[in-house]
Amino acid sequence: MGIVDTRAQYRHLFDIYVPIALAVFALIVLAVLLAVLVYRRRPPERAARWHENDRLEGAYALLLCAVVAFLLYLTFSTEHKVDTVSAGERPQLVVNVTGAKWEWHFNYPGYGIDLYSGAVGHQDLVVPTGEAIRFRLTSVDVIHAFWIPQLRYKHDLIPGSTQNVTLTFSRPGLFAGECAEFCGLLHSDMVFNARAVSPAAFASWAQSERSASGAVP
Amino acid sequence: MRGGAIPVLAWAGILTVLLAVNAVWTGDEIQIAEYGFAVLVIVLAGVLLIARHRAAIRRGPPEPRPARVEAVPDLSFAAVLAAIAVASILFGLAWAYFLVYFGAGLLLLSLGRLAVEEQAARASRERAEKRPAAEEPDAERGT
Amino acid sequence: MSVTAPAVSTASRASGLFGAAASTDHKRIGLNMGLASLLFFLGGGVMALLMRTQLAQPHMRFVSDETYNELFTMHGSTMIYLFVTPMALALAVYLVPLQIGAASISAPRVVLGAFWVWLSGGIIMQLGWLTEEGAGRSGWFSYVPLANSANTPGVGQDLWTVGVILAAVGLTLIGGCVLATIARRRAPGMSMMRMPVFTWTELVSVLMVVGSFPVLILAMSLLYAERLGAHVFTGYSGAIDYQDLFWFFGHPVVYVMFFPFLGAAAEVIAVNARKRWFGYAAFVASMLAFAALSMSVWSHHMYTTGGVTNQYFAFTSTALAVPAGIEYFDMVGTLIGGSIVLRTSMLFALGFFLQFLIGGLSGIFVASPVLDYHAEDSYIVVAHFHYTLFAGSVFGFFAGVYHWFPKLSGARLREGLGRLHFVLLVIGTNLTFLPMFFLGNDGMVRRIAEYPQHPGWGTLNLLETAGAGVIALAIAVFLLNVVVSLRSRDPAGEDPWLGHTLEWATSSPPPRHNFERALPPVTSYAPLLDLRERAEREDSRTAHVTAGGSGSAGRGAPDAGPEERTS
Repeated sequence: MGIVDTRAQYRHLFDIYVPIALAVFALIVLAVLLAVLVYRRRPPERAARWHENDRLEGAYALLLCAVVAFLLYLTFSTEHKVDTVSAGERPQLVVNVTGAKWEWHFNYPGYGIDLYSGAVGHQDLVVPTGEAIRFRLTSVDVIHAFWIPQLRYKHDLIPGSTQNVTLTFSRPGLFAGECAEFCGLLHSDMVFNARAVSPAAFASWAQSERSASGAVP
Repeated sequence: MRGGAIPVLAWAGILTVLLAVNAVWTGDEIQIAEYGFAVLVIVLAGVLLIARHRAAIRRGPPEPRPARVEAVPDLSFAAVLAAIAVASILFGLAWAYFLVYFGAGLLLLSLGRLAVEEQAARASRERAEKRPAAEEPDAERGT
Repeated sequence: MSVTAPAVSTASRASGLFGAAASTDHKRIGLNMGLASLLFFLGGGVMALLMRTQLAQPHMRFVSDETYNELFTMHGSTMIYLFVTPMALALAVYLVPLQIGAASISAPRVVLGAFWVWLSGGIIMQLGWLTEEGAGRSGWFSYVPLANSANTPGVGQDLWTVGVILAAVGLTLIGGCVLATIARRRAPGMSMMRMPVFTWTELVSVLMVVGSFPVLILAMSLLYAERLGAHVFTGYSGAIDYQDLFWFFGHPVVYVMFFPFLGAAAEVIAVNARKRWFGYAAFVASMLAFAALSMSVWSHHMYTTGGVTNQYFAFTSTALAVPAGIEYFDMVGTLIGGSIVLRTSMLFALGFFLQFLIGGLSGIFVASPVLDYHAEDSYIVVAHFHYTLFAGSVFGFFAGVYHWFPKLSGARLREGLGRLHFVLLVIGTNLTFLPMFFLGNDGMVRRIAEYPQHPGWGTLNLLETAGAGVIALAIAVFLLNVVVSLRSRDPAGEDPWLGHTLEWATSSPPPRHNFERALPPVTSYAPLLDLRERAEREDSRTAHVTAGGSGSAGRGAPDAGPEERTS
């Protein structure tokens, strides 16, 4: 049980995938270099005539299948957490995220707060730490993607659909966010900051924000 | 053995298995449709090769075979004209409409040119077949 | 069985420019296509240099955002539609008929016309630069709704769409002709399981071409209709359908841009290890599986859309490691026990395998949806596919150039300049693309015209820009090498490297109908090596007789087994 931390899940897979990849890389580079050093400038008539070994290759293929199965098991179990388990959370806070060329619109339906960030606005998306937050992603024009690199997670905003993602900020601080899917002229300006604060600080921020904007009625 | 169709059909077989797994796993209509299209094209290619079956390629040294002369054109302006015609029709759609008419005219021209080339091919094939085989230096070499 | 009668000409033999442009000789068409692709490569390279200049430092204003978007769109489109894919097929058009001992390609007129259709498409695509709104600027995969006429107005994007359609039509037709050639024109004795390794890689590539490129033609035609105002791709399902159609072409093409260069590198390694390619049967089986799997991975480009079944595509994409692993096993198996000559072509072939490895291993990384949720559309992906396409395919291409240049020109390329070219290209490639992994993991998005001040980003990007300069220098050395080698020729003769396959059993360059002497018997996938080994065996037998027939030196039987293996 517990909240799914996308950053930790990424780290978990990364720490297995990357060492395996580096080991395979080192092994093959070493094998090639050794082979070249040993068999370089051998007299041509000493070149071997053998050219197949089906058993060895079959065994090697089985080994590869085992590695693939292992990686897939890891990936599937992690993806289950990131996609399915997190979707089952019942978060307190819901934020509507709307992409438009080239601006982010964050709407807090429970609080009546609207924030804008991107090529024009520069308001921070403010979120509480330590709890699951549901982001409802949609776009009004073209495809954008909501990416917070430090959370190691992104998802597309596609016009005509609203998709939910559930993310958790485990520590307070400023998290850079950006549009990851190319969306036209000012794509590189479609950025935002997410400011994660303690739940108490979030509550007081929301209170002051609401009174500032909701004073009219 | 079947005019080169075996690996084509074998590959279509592997694709079909992957298609079936995709269909069961995803149930996504457009994916099944495009996948099915690819399998169909490959199977069709294989069937075509079998249908235009010719003598099997045997292992072993080359054997003399009865010569049937194939005329190969050295140049084909028909092909170049047709290509430029098609390109200018599409270019015309995007750029300036008169190019569509220009392309259509060019296409007609290339068809005419093709007829001339085919005529010449037939004539030279007949000429070549009349010649005794000894004059045909490559008659035993398969292609 | 039909026999080509080379003496029969149906058109007047025109020489000069018209003769070169309208020739139906597969070697002429292959050369023309290769040269045109190479020009597009240089153009695409200039675009890359402009982009790298812009990205050298944070907030540089070397070109406008608009121009930058055109540059990356046209760089990607040029490299994929107009350089690597057509070059892969140009190699097939030139070499496959020679390797299988055919006098010509199937349907040469169709090949000729298809080349011109493809070339017209390329030129039309580039004409966008001259229009008011500029060239295509919504990426080489031009997703809808971004690529519709409301979001990307202008003739430039129309010309891009039409150009892609024409290029795809040309490439599909050529693929079909190569397939027919391999199926029907093999020399007597050359069964499928005696086909050279390179021809096998081209066979599986053209199977993918005919199976998947028509879907691109469809997708682009629908996109064109959409731009004219038809509502083809509407709403969420429209966006997903377009991506499904596009990537059904867009991933197989990645392997069409890889397999032929893998085949070229394999031939180079076998010839320069003076040993036939190891594990031929397993190689053939794994190529068939490799190609089928790579037709089945396309939606791993769509993990973050929420519209596809990620697990299926994670399964197929990760499973690619099995056939890829077998190719590497075979490569090492070929080296072991050989007698290795480190010519420039061999350096490039080894470079191809080792550098592609970085692209391949990072490919398994991004095949995992969870890892891809971070890596997608970041510089991790940019690094990944440049390691496959540039550090991979382009190195394989240069291996092929150094190997086959004597065949197509009659002269060898200079070894000294070749080594310099190789060393510079290795340095430039890794300097340019390795830092991208770190930048991407740190959060740098692809396709941004400028990036913010961020610790380390300025330095890493500056390194990359310097690397791009080194790559440009390496390409200049290559061009110089070609010019020098053609000016003062070092005649190569028929078979300068002791080749294994039939293209080395004819003059360099080959005559109009390829072979003027009778072909050697095709006894395996390395017929010329068979001949040499048989001759050697005869020699040693006579030697034994004269020496009194002591059994001590009884080496050299063709299937003598691993009697003298690794030390």
